[in-house]
Amino acid sequence: MARLLVQLKLRLLRNALRSSRSARAAFILSTVAAGLVAVVTFAELAALRGNAASVDLTTVVFTVFAFGWLILPLLTFGLDSTLDPATLAPYPLRTRPLAVGLLAASATGAWPLANLLGLLGVTVGLASGWFGVFTALLAVLLEVLFCITLARFVTTGLAGLLRSRRGRDLAVFLILPIFALHEAFNQVVPKATAEGKLTAASFAGVDTWMRWLPPGLAAHAIQDASDGRPGAALLRLALLAAVIVVFGWLWVRSLGRALVTVDTSTQSSAVRGVALPFARSGLCGTAAARFWIYQRREPGSLIYWGITAIVMVAVSVSTIRTPGYLHALLLSAGLGAAFVGAVHANAIGRSGPGFFLEAMALTGRRALRGYFSGQDLALGLIAVPLLTLVSFALAAVARHPVDGFLGLAVDLAGIGAGLGLANIFTVFAAFPVEKRAGSPAPRAADGYLGYAYASTFGSLLGVAAAISPVVLGVVFTRSDPAVARMPVLVLCAAGYGIALARIGVRFAARAAEQRLPELCQIAVRSKL
Amino acid sequence: MRGLRKSFGTKQAVAGIDLEIAAGSLAGLVGPNGAGKTTSLSMMTGLLRPDGGRLLIRGIDVWADPPAAKAIIGVVPDQARLFERLSGEELLEYAGRLRGLPAGQARARAAQLLDVLDLAADAKRLVADYSTGMRRKATLGCALIHNPSVLFLDEPLEGVDPVSGEVIRRLLTRFAGSGSTVLFSSHVMELVEQVCDHVSIIDKGKIVATGTTDQVRDGKTLQRAFIDLVGSRATGEEGLSWLGSSSS
Repeated sequence: MARLLVQLKLRLLRNALRSSRSARAAFILSTVAAGLVAVVTFAELAALRGNAASVDLTTVVFTVFAFGWLILPLLTFGLDSTLDPATLAPYPLRTRPLAVGLLAASATGAWPLANLLGLLGVTVGLASGWFGVFTALLAVLLEVLFCITLARFVTTGLAGLLRSRRGRDLAVFLILPIFALHEAFNQVVPKATAEGKLTAASFAGVDTWMRWLPPGLAAHAIQDASDGRPGAALLRLALLAAVIVVFGWLWVRSLGRALVTVDTSTQSSAVRGVALPFARSGLCGTAAARFWIYQRREPGSLIYWGITAIVMVAVSVSTIRTPGYLHALLLSAGLGAAFVGAVHANAIGRSGPGFFLEAMALTGRRALRGYFSGQDLALGLIAVPLLTLVSFALAAVARHPVDGFLGLAVDLAGIGAGLGLANIFTVFAAFPVEKRAGSPAPRAADGYLGYAYASTFGSLLGVAAAISPVVLGVVFTRSDPAVARMPVLVLCAAGYGIALARIGVRFAARAAEQRLPELCQIAVRSKL
Repeated sequence: MRGLRKSFGTKQAVAGIDLEIAAGSLAGLVGPNGAGKTTSLSMMTGLLRPDGGRLLIRGIDVWADPPAAKAIIGVVPDQARLFERLSGEELLEYAGRLRGLPAGQARARAAQLLDVLDLAADAKRLVADYSTGMRRKATLGCALIHNPSVLFLDEPLEGVDPVSGEVIRRLLTRFAGSGSTVLFSSHVMELVEQVCDHVSIIDKGKIVATGTTDQVRDGKTLQRAFIDLVGSRATGEEGLSWLGSSSS
């Protein structure tokens, strides 16, 4: 069974190379990334030799890897067919040999190998003496086995939920902390390291509690063995092995259950509410109602709003407490607004096949104007308070709370420009999207990546150009009293933003009137 | 419709269709897979621009004035094209509001349709959680909510259980009985034979037979007449000699 499932995994990997161009590119990139992770991890762990905090840092790295194994399979659940017991449920397979086979399949591939090779850096960085190296080899093997067993236990236990619409929705939200961590590493860590605020010594003692987690047991076992405490080292490894056995036992039980409860199709719940909001306000209100509901119920939409807020904070966090805070504040506001535009620049493609229903009723330019206005209204109802909140929060962190109004001015002009451009791009550069496993939001269908880049960068550049008069206004009125300049700037920016949004609506409606059948064909090709 | 044509690259999907459907009739369009049924229906409903030909619905040229044509038709496409994150109730109300019905009327009609379509108990569930049959019924509800003069349906009973199928069948018969026109495509010959008063058979993008159901059948079952007209396909079953034996 193990051989068969390993062969299946290898065949799936090989077939990824033979599939579409984008899938092949993604596979090659993923393999190259795995190789890089292996080399960088090995080098970083090896470089800890002689460092006072080497065991603390090794514990942190081991824990981060275990966390990755816990989270990523939940996101990529539908991507790896061997993760879902439902694919094997129809076959007459006994649970134990199946579990061994699935474990072997999990350990097959570029990423598990990269984990193993990368973590072996501890044989250089932390271990010393033959017993230390021997313990390090055992510890790394057990750490990887622990990661795989943990991942299997969690994905199998949650398989029913992950296969359901509700479970997939919840799993998607995991991308937000991952994105926030990614941004923190990109924006905060390099600056803190450069300024000497973050050094290896900063990690000394951080493993006070982590040392008792399974990854910590592995790291400390290596140190014990290297420091001449073989008994303590073996005890820690035995404890780690026991944890793996317990997780393995739980996983086998969970697998047994999952094989006979694969169908979750009848699990669903009702929604609250009796009527569409705004629906009394004509076609504009009707369209606004649909977009408003989607912003709340579609996980992809919520993710985009979350990412917008994270990006706004991330680009400014390292400079917001410096004298150049105003640049950070305005950059954050402009980028946030540009994101709003870029994310919604393919609203029709992202509406998916349901757009057919709207296309059947959008009879004429006036109706289309109402439709685009409704969309802008719903998005504006979220974008304006969100961006305002972030701008004022950043201004408060900068200890210049009143300057939040300057951020607000850029927010308002940028949101208007972003929504106006989004309407135009959604008509002129509409493209079908596909929701794929492992991706929190729909991506451009094969052959349409250029459209996605064009609308994204077009929106970013367009918003940057559109907000420049407001930014200049902020800069040139700097010496004027705040009580006079702030209201004028905010009101002028709001009017300017509304005007830009309205121009976008009119332009898009005029073009969409001629292209409605083609837009409908694009939308129905989306797979959501 | 006269001379309706559509090509995708070098493949001619619809090769010049001439077809007339009397107002108030319940007409069926049948044909093998890939015959051009869905392409034809998409062009008839203003959702796919034809390469050539003319199409009139109740005197309105569909491609000269698409908004006017769309206002009087309802469409149930081959695959459910719905907003998955709305509840059934919200979806039908939304469809009604898009069609210009006042909010109260849209809500009332939505409730009535959900009731008739046996979806009232699931009205507050998200469409994403609906089964295939429930989606078909919800799509039909969206197509009917504005009381169209002409209803187009592409494979309306695909994936629908017999009880729901009977509900849809009764609804269509009642709808056509009131003077409205129904045109639907289907693979299910028994359904077309039982329900339709007119039948057209399409093959390789052309209408190969059209007329009243009795005329097209010509004394045979519709299934037989259909196979005689489009020809049966080779099966190659000889290679399956192992199938049905008790050994593996």
